[in-house]
Amino acid sequence: MTVATAQPRHRIRPRVAPWAFLAPAIVLFTLFLVLPIGYAIYLSFVGLRVQGGAFGTRQQVFVGFENYINALTDPELVASLGRLATFGFISVPITLGGALLVALLLDLPRVRFARFSRTAIFLPYAVPGVIATLLWGFMYLPTTSPINYVLSAIGWPTINFLGAQGIFGSLANIAVWASLGFNMIVLYTALRSIPVEVYEAARLDGASEWQIARLIKIPLLAPALLLTLIFSLIGTLQAYSEPTTLKSMSNSISNSFFPLMKVYRDAFGVDNVSGAAAMSVVLALGTLAVSVVLLRVLQRRTFEGTR
Amino acid sequence: MKRSALFRGVVGTAVLATAIGLTACAPAAEDDGPVTLTYWTWAPAVPDAVEVWNEQNPDIQVKVEQPAGADDIIAKVLAAQRAGEGPDMFAAEYQKVPNLVLSGAGYDISDLVSDFSDEFTDANWSLVTVGDGVYGVPQDTGPMVYLYRADIFEQNGWTPPTTWDEYADLAAQVRATGAYLGGFPDDGATLAGYAMPLGAQWWSTDGDSWSVDIDGAETTRVVDFWEPLVREDLISTTHFFTPEWNTQMNDGSIVSWAAGAWAPGTIASVAPDTAGLWRIAKMPTWDGETSAGLFGGSSAMVGSTTKHPEEAVKFLEWLNGSDEGSSLLAQGGLFPASVAGQAALSDLPVPEMVSGQDDFWELAADIASDTVSFTWGPNVQIAFDTYSDTVRAALDSGAPFSDALVAAQDKVVSDLKTTGFTVK
Repeated sequence: MTVATAQPRHRIRPRVAPWAFLAPAIVLFTLFLVLPIGYAIYLSFVGLRVQGGAFGTRQQVFVGFENYINALTDPELVASLGRLATFGFISVPITLGGALLVALLLDLPRVRFARFSRTAIFLPYAVPGVIATLLWGFMYLPTTSPINYVLSAIGWPTINFLGAQGIFGSLANIAVWASLGFNMIVLYTALRSIPVEVYEAARLDGASEWQIARLIKIPLLAPALLLTLIFSLIGTLQAYSEPTTLKSMSNSISNSFFPLMKVYRDAFGVDNVSGAAAMSVVLALGTLAVSVVLLRVLQRRTFEGTR
Repeated sequence: MKRSALFRGVVGTAVLATAIGLTACAPAAEDDGPVTLTYWTWAPAVPDAVEVWNEQNPDIQVKVEQPAGADDIIAKVLAAQRAGEGPDMFAAEYQKVPNLVLSGAGYDISDLVSDFSDEFTDANWSLVTVGDGVYGVPQDTGPMVYLYRADIFEQNGWTPPTTWDEYADLAAQVRATGAYLGGFPDDGATLAGYAMPLGAQWWSTDGDSWSVDIDGAETTRVVDFWEPLVREDLISTTHFFTPEWNTQMNDGSIVSWAAGAWAPGTIASVAPDTAGLWRIAKMPTWDGETSAGLFGGSSAMVGSTTKHPEEAVKFLEWLNGSDEGSSLLAQGGLFPASVAGQAALSDLPVPEMVSGQDDFWELAADIASDTVSFTWGPNVQIAFDTYSDTVRAALDSGAPFSDALVAAQDKVVSDLKTTGFTVK
């Protein structure tokens, strides 16, 4: 009798309990991630096609890979990726280099005003992107720019911040201003977790602060640098609010300036949700591929280096 | 045992949730009793007029909602209709009407409107007609007028240009003083307004197929006129309603602007320091043509998901066609599309920006009485976006402006074909 009841209990518990614990996560994950992604993929294979002459109505029909072919052969999308690359080549190295420099400086022994500097550098990260862009936008606009006011007051040529060339630097500047603090905090936190004994040993051996930074701190920071690099790349691919906000101030920003602006325009401006869905899938897969390749290539070197 | 309890709990919750959902969705309007119509619009003039209607018509109550501005209304309406919550009526700019109709968002009211279509000019009525169907009622319109700084013109002895050749000469004179006469059409709406009097028809239908003529001779003539002025820096390249433009309008660096008759109301917030210094004149002409182009304006469409099309049309007729409704709209700052509404304008005080021009309303109504008939196509936004992106890029690259028309033409044609239309 006791044996008979004990056995099924033994079997049921491991079958139900894990699922019960997992249920909330699975439900939320399915509802808010799997289903929307599935719906986006479904949308990317259908399209609105008109039936019945010049004034027929659009019906949703299955179109196979047509949306994908259109997305991949769309010169606008390719051009927008090119512009994004230009923006990324300027903003990512400056952000990471700047964040690393500031983190190392703040980690020096006997540094003054460390807490104030840390907060001041981190603060822009708390300013929403749209507001940051508006603030910078008025710094760029010819009639309101204090920079150009000073330049013209001392007789120097003014800078066209919002022209076809200047716009990349201007956008990158906003991105660097906004994200440098966040990356600095990540790197600084990683620095603080390095045991002080390592530095003591180095100082006993007569190493200078510069040598400590170059030979100890930076190699030990490699995992954190890799993390910030991937965050920055993904953040770059998602750049949207800055150029969209600056668009009304500059003739150089088109409706499809960056890929996500094109996705938004296609979905909600010209009513081509399916094309936008296909482009989103392509962009998501591209981001995934870049992240995985980077991790594979850099992780091996990074963690070999730390050993 | 445990599992079935869990299951029952889940089912119970689901049933409860559905029940709550059903009560929330329970239709407010039955066949008997008062009908409540929802009306999506962005126009600030509408809510006040609706209040008057609701007092007089307890059986047809209208509820105004403002879910989106003019640019987002298509996406919002289509999404809401797919979710089964489409509005009974919604505002749509004229160039968006064909797109909405072909997306199945509009209700054909042609059987309900025959007795009041003559309250509008043919040009305005054609804007809510798609194929054989009528899908809305014109609300406000934008016959193009030439708005200029009378004080600056007078100081310098300039007169408003009556032809575009005079405009080009004047642009050089104004530039010599450091200011700009105006801006060039870097957006599709302004460009179309300039090209309409020349007889440009960007979209037209012939039987079951569409024809597209964005890069035709008429529109090419317009961009060819502006290009040298821009290249010689005689004309500003700042787009209207940007912060930079607002500043220049306010401080006198831009001394004229061609826009719809609604313009004096719109720039009140843009250039508040210049109130009373502006006047309107008729647009400069290309070859002495008399009909004015249209820039802006919107209609009130009836939604395909409505259960009360007759009540909706009754309300829209009152709002847009009747003396009472359209003069309420005019008081609220709209330039009404109906003949009655435009007649009612002369009783209104002249807008603050042009105060001093006593014949403002008479002149505006005179211009509005003779406007060009223009057909918008199913993918206007593609033409607008492609044109403005390409022409702005041409500012830096030096490519001819007419390339932007070719680009827009190609994009529009290929989009029509992809969507399944026959294009000639």
